[in-house]
Amino acid sequence: MKRVLTILFAIGFIVFLLAGGVLTAYAVGALAEEKLFVGASRLTNVIFLMLIFVMIIATMLTLAERKWSALMQDRIGPNRARIALPGLKNLSLAGLPFVAADSLKMLTKEDFVPQTANRFLFNLSPLLAFAPVFALFAIVPAGPSVTLWGQRVDMVVGTPDFGLLYLFAIASLAVYGTALAGWSSNNKFALLGGVRATSQMISYEVALGLSLVGVMLAFGSVQLPAIVGTLAAETGGAAAGQARYLWQWAGGAAGEGFDFGLPAWGIILQPLGFIGFFAAAFAETKRAPFDVPEGESEIIGYFVEYSGMKFGLFMISEFVEVVVLSGVTAALFFGGYHLPFGGEWLATQLKDSPLVYATLLGTFFWVKVLLLCFLQLLIRWTFPRFRYDQIQTLGWKMLLPVGLANVFISGALVLWDPSLRALALFGLLQIGVLMALSLSRKESAEPEHGPGHGHGALGHGHEPHGLPGGAHGHALPAHGHAAASLGGNTPAGAHAGAHPASTH
Amino acid sequence: MGYKATQDPRTDVRERAYLPELLKGLGITARHFFRNLFGTRDTNTQVVDRKGTSLITTVEYPDEKIPYPPGYRGLHRLVPREDGKPRCVACYMCATICPAQCIYIEAGEYEVEAKEGESRVIEKFPTQFVIDELRCIVCGLCVEACPKDAIRMDTYEHTKPEYNRQGFVYDIPKLLKGPAVSHPSDPWNKREGSEQPHHVHKEAHTRIGEGLVQLKTPHAVGKGHEPKQIGPGHAPSERAVK
Repeated sequence: MKRVLTILFAIGFIVFLLAGGVLTAYAVGALAEEKLFVGASRLTNVIFLMLIFVMIIATMLTLAERKWSALMQDRIGPNRARIALPGLKNLSLAGLPFVAADSLKMLTKEDFVPQTANRFLFNLSPLLAFAPVFALFAIVPAGPSVTLWGQRVDMVVGTPDFGLLYLFAIASLAVYGTALAGWSSNNKFALLGGVRATSQMISYEVALGLSLVGVMLAFGSVQLPAIVGTLAAETGGAAAGQARYLWQWAGGAAGEGFDFGLPAWGIILQPLGFIGFFAAAFAETKRAPFDVPEGESEIIGYFVEYSGMKFGLFMISEFVEVVVLSGVTAALFFGGYHLPFGGEWLATQLKDSPLVYATLLGTFFWVKVLLLCFLQLLIRWTFPRFRYDQIQTLGWKMLLPVGLANVFISGALVLWDPSLRALALFGLLQIGVLMALSLSRKESAEPEHGPGHGHGALGHGHEPHGLPGGAHGHALPAHGHAAASLGGNTPAGAHAGAHPASTH
Repeated sequence: MGYKATQDPRTDVRERAYLPELLKGLGITARHFFRNLFGTRDTNTQVVDRKGTSLITTVEYPDEKIPYPPGYRGLHRLVPREDGKPRCVACYMCATICPAQCIYIEAGEYEVEAKEGESRVIEKFPTQFVIDELRCIVCGLCVEACPKDAIRMDTYEHTKPEYNRQGFVYDIPKLLKGPAVSHPSDPWNKREGSEQPHHVHKEAHTRIGEGLVQLKTPHAVGKGHEPKQIGPGHAPSERAVK
């Protein structure tokens, strides 16, 4: 119970910190608008959104990756770094001191450049890998636009007309860093990694673009703020984008009771688009199961010759990419900063305190981002690396045709029913089929939980550690462990016992 | 051409559609994650006996120690007598049998008319008894060879880390520790005018492997590794019956 309370408190504390950050960002933005010039809040947003939120979350993800993966694999994870302060000396603090320890280690390590490397490109490529990823977040709206102390404050860095095209353009720039790092190291393995990264990018760029066309069609815009949409209570008109309901069952227009319904989120309208985008963007982050450029077990990767903070830049850019991808996904498919329901009601209630309203919604956006980060780490620690031809097959033979079909079907459905309800029904159908397939089990002649045979061969959803003889390993895993260990020990013991008897 | 790559062995629609299986895999990982996140880790060092929601099987070594089984061969000790001197009579049997030749003994002889009067029954005592723990292969032959039950390996602790090699060379002050042992057959108990009457001789209650000795180890290293206490006086008899 104490553990549960501790974890819940920690989660609450993280949300509280996020809320504090959002509050500060809005307040500083409004002050900058007032004291400096119109549009100054965009500059403070650069600091707050990119340097503070994205950077800190990415830094924390380096720890979370290790700690969460440990929990997924039934390990304890990093817990030995301690802060030598009275009161904190014997607390592992969930491994938080490791963040400081790791960055100190990175910064103080020798910065080694191979003698035959191309020095200029060698030094340039970490920046080329890092900067574009970092710049990606500029178009993601992280909170509603509110009027604060007479000033209009947007929680977004830039709203270019080309919106998502900026995303595509900048995202593909990151591969230059990777490829150049591989080439300039003058190392065969690094070069292999760079080449692999390049060809992986090529196979994914098309699928990445195509998967989002459906979203653009559905919302009729390429700009993220327009796709995220606005509430009726905010603008006074009708709700737009993902803020509106497909079907509304309770509450009327602005301020008529608590509104409840099925929101027009991208995930409901475009499940296939979401899957395609997520897979393609995952390949962009170069993380497992698409980590062939890194390929730790075969080639060490494009950064094999890098050390110190230059390697750290490659590593952190991976995590920044995770955060940015989460942000983009949240904005495109999960309603951005909007609540799934009750948004209009909340906006009406908090009409007079825009700062509280903006803080609430902004925090909600970052909570969504954190959840999506967790989902990405979950994926990264569940699936093994694809073989190289499998990636190409997935990119060209599966995602591309599916994306194309999705574009045509979505386009037809949007034309047929501009209220998007037909598209939503189609999407719900897809989700339903997927869920039905996932939750059902294959009919099999063999008994499902036969005592210790055929588990691996059947291969549907058994525990990955595949306990032999763990007949009820699911319901009581601790017991299953015990049974397995005993079962594993008994033959050995019997053998050891039998051995002296037979020889002597 | 051994394996035809186009031949897809997956017949089920869930496996062919690929995504349902991925989702199931994610579900398994997520279940492990949340069980381990919210479940309190059972610190029972007997991992197989662990209960609870957390699936973590780690024993955090320096903080949690698995008790060694009874009869574990740990660091040597020279068994003291009741009066605190080593039981060793410097017979060199351990040094002779030691396959690693890690025991070095220098014998001293009691003067014939010494005040202690021990010379009546024991001729020799070790002036130096040195074990090089780095050379020791922990075979336990010295314990078996000793006719006086004077060297034992029942400390349930490892050789402790040291900063130089000299630290691993254990001499009498480092070796002489643990509870005193007295046998009725001990010569110093048999002699005339012994301070200890015959009837208070302690039985040979601590044989290696029975794990009855609660050691008063001066060091904390072996602490936690001691085996569970067997109730006094019942284990040996039961074992004898068996």
